[in-house]
Amino acid sequence: MAEITYTEEEKQKVLEKLDQKTWKIKDLAKILRMNKKVVQKIVMDLIDEGKATYWSSGSTTYYATPRYVEEYEKKRAEG
Amino acid sequence: MSETPLLDQIPDGPWPSFVKEIRKTAELQEKAIAEGKEVKMPGCAKALLKQLERSYKDKKTHWKHGGIVSVVGYGGGVIGRYSDLGEELPEVHHFHTIRVNQPAGWFYTTKALRQFMDVWEKWGSGLLNMHGSTGDFVLLGTRSEYLQPMFEEMMQMDPPFDIGGSGSDLRTPSACMGPALCEFACYDTLQLCYDLTMEYQNELHRPMWPYKFKFKLSGCPNDCVAAKARSDFAIIGTWKDDIQIDRDAVKEYAKFMDIQKEVVDLCPTKCMTWDENRKSLEIDNRNCVRCMHCINKMPKALKPGKVRGATICIGAKAPCVEGAIIGWVAIPFIPADKLFERIKEIVEPLWEWWDDEGKFRERIGEFLWRKGMGQFLRVIGEKADVRMIKHPRTNPFMYFEKKELRPSKIVEELEKRGMRFKSLDREEEEI
Amino acid sequence: MQQKEKPPWWKTDFGPPYFKDLMHPVLKKNYGKWAYHEVIRPGVIKRVAESGDTVYVVRFGTPRLISIYTVRDLCDIADKYCDGYLRWTSRHNVEFILTDESKIDDLIKEVEEKTGFPCGGTWDATSGKYGLSNIIHTQGWVHCHTPAIDASGIVKAVMDELYEYFVEMKLPALCRISLACCANMCGAVHASDISIVGIHRTPPLVDDDAVRRMCELPTTAASCPNAAIKVKAKEKTLEVDGEKCMFCGNCYTMCPGMPLFDPENDGAAILCAGKVSDARHPPELSKVVVPWLPNEPPRWPSVVEAVKKIFLAWANNAKKHERMVEFIERIGWERFFDLAGLEFSWHLIDDFRVPPFMYASYRVGTQFRW
Ligand code: HEM
Ligand code: HEM
Ligand code: SF4
Ligand code: SF4
Ligand code: SF4
Ligand code: SF4
Repeated sequence: MAEITYTEEEKQKVLEKLDQKTWKIKDLAKILRMNKKVVQKIVMDLIDEGKATYWSSGSTTYYATPRYVEEYEKKRAEG
Repeated sequence: MSETPLLDQIPDGPWPSFVKEIRKTAELQEKAIAEGKEVKMPGCAKALLKQLERSYKDKKTHWKHGGIVSVVGYGGGVIGRYSDLGEELPEVHHFHTIRVNQPAGWFYTTKALRQFMDVWEKWGSGLLNMHGSTGDFVLLGTRSEYLQPMFEEMMQMDPPFDIGGSGSDLRTPSACMGPALCEFACYDTLQLCYDLTMEYQNELHRPMWPYKFKFKLSGCPNDCVAAKARSDFAIIGTWKDDIQIDRDAVKEYAKFMDIQKEVVDLCPTKCMTWDENRKSLEIDNRNCVRCMHCINKMPKALKPGKVRGATICIGAKAPCVEGAIIGWVAIPFIPADKLFERIKEIVEPLWEWWDDEGKFRERIGEFLWRKGMGQFLRVIGEKADVRMIKHPRTNPFMYFEKKELRPSKIVEELEKRGMRFKSLDREEEEI
Repeated sequence: MQQKEKPPWWKTDFGPPYFKDLMHPVLKKNYGKWAYHEVIRPGVIKRVAESGDTVYVVRFGTPRLISIYTVRDLCDIADKYCDGYLRWTSRHNVEFILTDESKIDDLIKEVEEKTGFPCGGTWDATSGKYGLSNIIHTQGWVHCHTPAIDASGIVKAVMDELYEYFVEMKLPALCRISLACCANMCGAVHASDISIVGIHRTPPLVDDDAVRRMCELPTTAASCPNAAIKVKAKEKTLEVDGEKCMFCGNCYTMCPGMPLFDPENDGAAILCAGKVSDARHPPELSKVVVPWLPNEPPRWPSVVEAVKKIFLAWANNAKKHERMVEFIERIGWERFFDLAGLEFSWHLIDDFRVPPFMYASYRVGTQFRW
């Protein structure tokens, strides 16, 4: 399989979206009009770099930035 | 007066009591602290009892859902949990679950368990489920900041324990004890379970699918792990040739068992005959459906045949969303020595297809209903087999691919007008 | 999350321990070479290998939720009697593997004294004597956010009542009881002889304020399997269509502003006549026979009574080896409702939206029993 590549600009676009809410890869790809595999690769790389993270409801899993998740969690913990 | 008058009534009666377990934890954890042991979650077992008492009084749960996920590098295996009584009961305000990948067949040494209990005494509530219904060893109750140190201690244990699945990922596979203790096992359930778990560590730890996916493995149609009902991909041992008979052993059973009434008459296909005078059992193996009844009745005398392997049943799940399903036959038989290889060839394209085209929270069974068995078989490279169905369809609304149609003027004209015919091939994804 | 320098022992994706490293040497030696088994008394299975090696597997029921201190007690016992090995089963039972038959009584005595776990839960197809195994169950009020009923408390109350069937083997066939505290059915109890399932009966009561503070509106609406949630964009909140909602709680999982708890209306449905094994009769889903019973902590008398009625209607009338579904197919559902003293109501006729399912359960033809 060919190595999946992307531009810094694309990565930035993904990162911006991830800071707004929790996403599934597919919806993120749709809204950014990008290939799903590329988005997935970007998100995985962002996770490795510590700039993105998982959020899970227990049964389904989403992605967002650590900043967003932390804030979201705090709101939920306080209820 | 007791603080927990309702829970006090639980230990009544002979069945072991979970309340007693929580109380015991509360007491002994206090003792451990008094002895100078490091305990990071002091008082939480007692607080849990108080919260539970409130639930018993209010007839509702006092847990809220949380979403923090796991430890460095992982996307699953931890379930966030907060109490809505956090102000009153700060000890259980944060009370997250860690799922630990159990050893296949749930075999343990006391050495492995003791190490585990030591670290869980330190970093957690001291309470656990042996086991969760997916099969994981479930640690109940710790705080976010203890997740990482707990996992780091798990890495350093001998043997080390890894985290299991949760969220939209491959869930921790589980297997019956098969060849470790059971004479009916038609393939090595434990080894295959281990091999699949190791092969798909990434899928298990980094959720990326529309929803969860479960493998469960049973060594024979008795299905002691309930794979047919509880897993998207059930691997059920079976055989193809004749049941092995030890005729002397049959005669032994005949001394105390009414073979006609209890074995032959209960055979679902009535493919057995019993000659009471000659004490001889005949099986018309062509008509045996391998249900296991006769073998269960006479384990010394009858054994599954020698051409062994497994049936794959696909799609089982609980009622959400489209109703409960028991898995249906996807592949009637894969020989035992080809299982790992063939399953890899099947699940990888299947996951890719489901990941690309599955809807949010659509389990594989529901996805296949939407897409049809035809395309499924094309994707996994398998031919249709009459063993996949109870009976053929009762309506004539069938699809035909273009290549199955005869060339005709009408077809040409339809195509000219842009008509797209059914195709079982997957479309190339457009960028 | 910082990218710290990792210590030398650091690893990820190393998987579970290899099962053979945790297995008693006798099991390793005879792996795949077992000849036969016999249940020599309730809770004790004798397993004989082709080599002639013999082990005695001794099974005990546990409450599933256990203390680390109890696990340590079990370890002490396993060290004393079983060379430091033990295992758990798929139904929350613990098993000790003995090589010395003479130690069985001492082992049982010691486990019962130290932990209170009863020996039993086995069945013997050969003699046609079956015991009841443990109830597979889920978290309930002990640890989940969507339950409509408690899990452990009901299991305890039911098992107290059916205890004698666990410690003896006096049932006509296998009987599997399971419990899930909501329709998510973590225990996947939908193919059991008897299942107890928590159901909510009222849609979420939207807390507009909480929704605004904590929830992502489109994600929450999308989490509904029935498309029952509408986003009210102007008011920045959500609305539920009460005719479409099936009370599953998925939206609540996504958004704390969608609680669907009503202590007076949450409760248990009871299903029966499912199975997973292929023995004689193919696997089948369980069917709802009691639509709803209230939560009555701490002992749930109505649930216990209903389960017992179903259980005894079968246990007292089934033929040898006849599981619940086989029994009911023989005598007919009309007879079963009579025998168990259950009321049949319109709720028990399927009207969930997927037609093939509905149809599959309707009777065609005119074969009745009266
Ligand atoms: C060598 C023979 C067998 C072995 C080693 C074996 C092992 C097991 C074990 C350890 C369990 C979990 C038990 C518990 O904790 O209650 C189990 C469950 C079960 N077994 Fe077996 N079993 C054997 C034979 C059978 C037979 C003869 C049948 C059926 C006639 C059977 C059907 C089942 C079923 C239906 C379950 C429960 C699955 C569930 O609903 O969770 N097994 N088996
Ligand atoms: C839509 C479906 C489902 C949802 C939303 C769901 C959600 C959850 C949640 C939130 C928990 C956490 C309870 C805790 O705090 O420990 C949980 C536990 C669990 N779930 Fe599920 N679940 C679903 C279906 C299932 C099914 C079908 C199975 C298994 C066949 C399953 C297996 C488990 C297991 C093993 C646990 C761990 C604790 C236990 O055994 O009770 N889940 N589930
Ligand atoms: S499923 Fe079959 S092989 Fe596995 S333990 Fe049960 S009876 Fe044995
Ligand atoms: S396995 Fe079942 S179908 Fe086959 S002979 Fe035995 S009882 Fe009959
Ligand atoms: S069955 Fe429902 S309430 Fe019970 S543990 Fe699972 S998700 Fe929670
Ligand atoms: S409870 Fe379930 S069906 Fe009802 S609105 Fe929420 S998600 Fe939809």
